[in-house]
Amino acid sequence: MVEMELKRDRVVIRLGTKKWEWTLEPRYWRNTLLWALFLLIAPAVAYFVSPGLINTMISANIYAAIAMPLALMTIGTGRMNFGPQFYIGVGGYTAALLSIAYGWGPLTTLPFAILMSMIAALIFSPLVIMARGLYYVLLTLLLPLVFLEVTFIYTDIFKGDTGLFGIVPLLDTGNANNNFLIIGYFSTAVMFAYLWFINKVLKSRYGLIMAAINDDEEVAHSIGVNINKVKIIAFVAASTLIGIIGWFYAHYFSSFAGITYLPLTFMLKILLVLMIGGRAQVFGCVVGGYFIAFLEMLMIRFMGPIQPLLFPIILLILLFILPEGLFGLYRKRRYREYLPTIHVRR
Amino acid sequence: MTPLLKVSNLVKRFGGIIAVNDVSFEIYKGETLGFIGPNGAGKSTVVNALTGFFPATSGKIELNGVDITHMKPHQRAHMGLARTYQIPRPFPELTALTSVLASSISGKKRINQSFQDAMFDATHYLEFVGLFSKRNILARDLTFYELRMLELARALATTPQLLFIDEVMAGLNPGEAKNAIKMIRKAKEEFGVTVFWIEHVMAVLMEAADRIVAINYGSKLAEGTPDEVVNNDDVIEAYLGRGWREYA
Repeated sequence: MVEMELKRDRVVIRLGTKKWEWTLEPRYWRNTLLWALFLLIAPAVAYFVSPGLINTMISANIYAAIAMPLALMTIGTGRMNFGPQFYIGVGGYTAALLSIAYGWGPLTTLPFAILMSMIAALIFSPLVIMARGLYYVLLTLLLPLVFLEVTFIYTDIFKGDTGLFGIVPLLDTGNANNNFLIIGYFSTAVMFAYLWFINKVLKSRYGLIMAAINDDEEVAHSIGVNINKVKIIAFVAASTLIGIIGWFYAHYFSSFAGITYLPLTFMLKILLVLMIGGRAQVFGCVVGGYFIAFLEMLMIRFMGPIQPLLFPIILLILLFILPEGLFGLYRKRRYREYLPTIHVRR
Repeated sequence: MTPLLKVSNLVKRFGGIIAVNDVSFEIYKGETLGFIGPNGAGKSTVVNALTGFFPATSGKIELNGVDITHMKPHQRAHMGLARTYQIPRPFPELTALTSVLASSISGKKRINQSFQDAMFDATHYLEFVGLFSKRNILARDLTFYELRMLELARALATTPQLLFIDEVMAGLNPGEAKNAIKMIRKAKEEFGVTVFWIEHVMAVLMEAADRIVAINYGSKLAEGTPDEVVNNDDVIEAYLGRGWREYA
């Protein structure tokens, strides 16, 4: 059975003929811990300064938590998915419909949201084998738009025009500010969990195999990688992680409307989080998420009516002057990874 | 002696074009089999059919007596087939070390091999081909010769029984080509691989190959020792044209 050994600098786990080693490197933990501490203190500070800031933090965490699985999916399948918000729709509508119909709370609807996202991802997973390049982009781009149309056609079920209301909230302490604070911590925890999991996957042997697939599928196949299996697993796992965010949205706002998440505008925001943060690097997604969420908040507050015009212009300029993203600025100065960062080409 | 790889009546059609027509040959353990033919003879198609990238239209391919005709490329890689490409195809965004590491962890299944163990393996193969000092350089920044060597290291890291080498000399200068040949010989001795070597440069195969198979228009022309094959009239005609005797 499973054997575990603790050595000086690593944990060795054995299962049958398989062996995993987990290197423990506390000297690299400092910055991670500092950032975690900052993100833990920030909501508490915001609670006393301006509770509205927590709302922006929640948005930032959730943007990052959508962008990170998207980065994983892009690397693992070697293709750029332009419709990850489809799975937000699937997870969100599952949670919303079940909660409204049966009065279920968030914990009860979560497994169903996960299951439905997984099933939807499995149904569409052959796309990653059959389509590539522009065709894959077009197909994935169309999926959420088709889903949006469906919510309008079957408006008696999905309430396409008004959205679904009356979903059991994620939390109810009786005080709106306290609710914000606790949900703020919860969203930070979700973001950290995603960050930890996806970073671990990308640094492991599976991440390397995904990087090989991202670089050249055929060669990866010839060196013994079962590319179809890896691509489907990456696609389904990442889609499921995005579906969970849909569940979060539904219960957080107590309402869910496809028109908010399914159109292209929402997708563009996620894409910008991915690119401005740092070219599909997981840590970059967090930087990008916070940058975009706070920029959006500032623009809405101070720019007024010209905000819808200025926001994309600022982002476009940033895309040009920061080819490696915001996280690239940090990495350039402090390169300390023994494994290469996995870039996304397509 | 049972052959390592036995190819019987291999046919590969692309629509109406017959790229490989009824080719049969055997490769024995430990030998170097040269594979020659004029441009467009179907040499690379044979390699693609043997490694599984083009499914054979008909015929049978056996490795150590196991029928691998309908296996996928990755299954064949696990069985012990590895290949290099005519034009190097590195993983451009991975460093030299991680390129080899990727094939070390995904090649033939090895028990009790963790990611870190695979890294040691990869450094060994990289050192073997002389690229250890370039381990942290992205593959896209390597020179052509280094890419060839990286391909060799990547193929060896899957621990193959049979290594397909597709025109290793193309694009190398004489000094580099000499090194490349030396490296393949060393690999054969050190790792005990059997080599299937496609080459345009006859002089190389005359020296290195134990046997040679010549094909033209997808059909086998001749098979035998290098001397027999280069003196075969059909082979000379395939390379020089029909009227070669008038000028001889």
